[in-house]
Amino acid sequence: MNTLGTPIQGVTLYSFTRASHARQYDLESLIRKVAAEGFGPGLELIGFSSLRGFPNRIDDRFAGKFRELVQEVDLVPTSLAVNVDTGLRRDRLLTQEEMVEYMRAQIEVAARLGFPIARVQISLSPDAMESLLPVAEKYGVTLALEVHADQHGAHERVLALRDRYEKLDSPLLGFTADWGATVTGFAPSLLEAYRRRGASEELLAAVVALWDGFYAEGPPNTQKVHGERFGAFIGLAARHGRPELGIDFAINGTGLFGPAPIETWQEIMPWVRHVHGKFFGIDETGEEPSVPVRGLVAQLVENGYHGAISSEYEGWHWNNWQDPFEIIRGEHALQRAAAKDAGSSMVTDSRIARELLHSHLAQPARG
Amino acid sequence: MIADRIIEQGTLTTHEGQAAVEVRIPWYRALPGSCIAGATLSIDGTQAPADTLRWSMNGRTFSFDELVNETDEWWFPLDSATLTGQLALRQDIEEHEVQVELKVYIPYIITDHGVLHIEESDTKTMKAEQR
Repeated sequence: MNTLGTPIQGVTLYSFTRASHARQYDLESLIRKVAAEGFGPGLELIGFSSLRGFPNRIDDRFAGKFRELVQEVDLVPTSLAVNVDTGLRRDRLLTQEEMVEYMRAQIEVAARLGFPIARVQISLSPDAMESLLPVAEKYGVTLALEVHADQHGAHERVLALRDRYEKLDSPLLGFTADWGATVTGFAPSLLEAYRRRGASEELLAAVVALWDGFYAEGPPNTQKVHGERFGAFIGLAARHGRPELGIDFAINGTGLFGPAPIETWQEIMPWVRHVHGKFFGIDETGEEPSVPVRGLVAQLVENGYHGAISSEYEGWHWNNWQDPFEIIRGEHALQRAAAKDAGSSMVTDSRIARELLHSHLAQPARG
Repeated sequence: MIADRIIEQGTLTTHEGQAAVEVRIPWYRALPGSCIAGATLSIDGTQAPADTLRWSMNGRTFSFDELVNETDEWWFPLDSATLTGQLALRQDIEEHEVQVELKVYIPYIITDHGVLHIEESDTKTMKAEQR
């Protein structure tokens, strides 16, 4: 029987992509802003977004300054999101040997900057993860493969990884659970963005009905079903005379709003080392209208989860009319309320967060 | 996707029949030269010939053929690149309509049809500065 979990509050700088891209903040001023707003203690960032010259040109001077800054503002580095760029070359995909070296360089930077976790991605097969285990051991970094829509906790690719993790029995192999896999509705703010691009109410209703139908059917368990759903959104846009919106409907409808029930996370829960608290907006009542944040936090609490939740606001792709900092504040309040309702609390103290994260990452999962 | 920021307002320059404009990545993360798959540059409805287009970033200049194998130089999200092409600007108008189309590969998203690519375009109106 688990004791109740106490997830660590945090944020990924990805949430502020639009402000950062607009050069309103450089890396240092954004980290200071995050700390000053109380969005920590957990801090996550994406290497290829936030670090110029990542990974091969990150020198010791930069690494030292980064560590000093994080210490000064009293944040706790949680996960460095690294990328599995299998399609880096134009002539062919990277070989497994090339990919191991490509990932090694990024994982090394995670260690040098003080991140205990490197978020890796789904294109790594069980064999590739096994090849990377010596790299994880060399640098003492946990590899948390992100389970993101259109996959989910019970998807065949994810279960194959879980089975390999079970066999390898290392504390350094696990998952990052992205809440976008378990969404309950098409995000209203994206519908508003399409409305502003001239989409008719009839078309928007049809998009919602198509997504709701997939939600009722359940999540895609194979790549084939995913491909069929992707095509259905493109066909819908074409039939309504707005073919230029088709790819956008399809990418968002399948790749951001995954329709799996939250129970699917139970399949991999013992291996969940990190969480992306993915969401798309907070409504006027303080709730997330399309992501079941309350249920997801309660699930983590009930399962004894003591790792971090990086609040990950993804509405920035289309929402250029609301302040992302205000929106993160809203999701954090919702997470704290949910943890309290579940009989526990979110950890907001940096010292407790450091201790919890250390012990959370130390032991192999026992499924 | 941040397509509305591809063209940097007010950066159009012209010099000896070459027009240049600064461009921003419409994506959240850095991409290597090999993933910058193509661009077009049109001014006042006239497109620069494809073989005259050049891409400059990090102090280096490439043709799009040269970018194909370039995995060492990366386009960082905060940095502007410069797109140049052979294009004489009309003298009878002051405000020029600049259009840039950009095709980039997203190297970590592998679909049933290969590596995902996105095509975005941006149009802005601005004066030109003589270099």
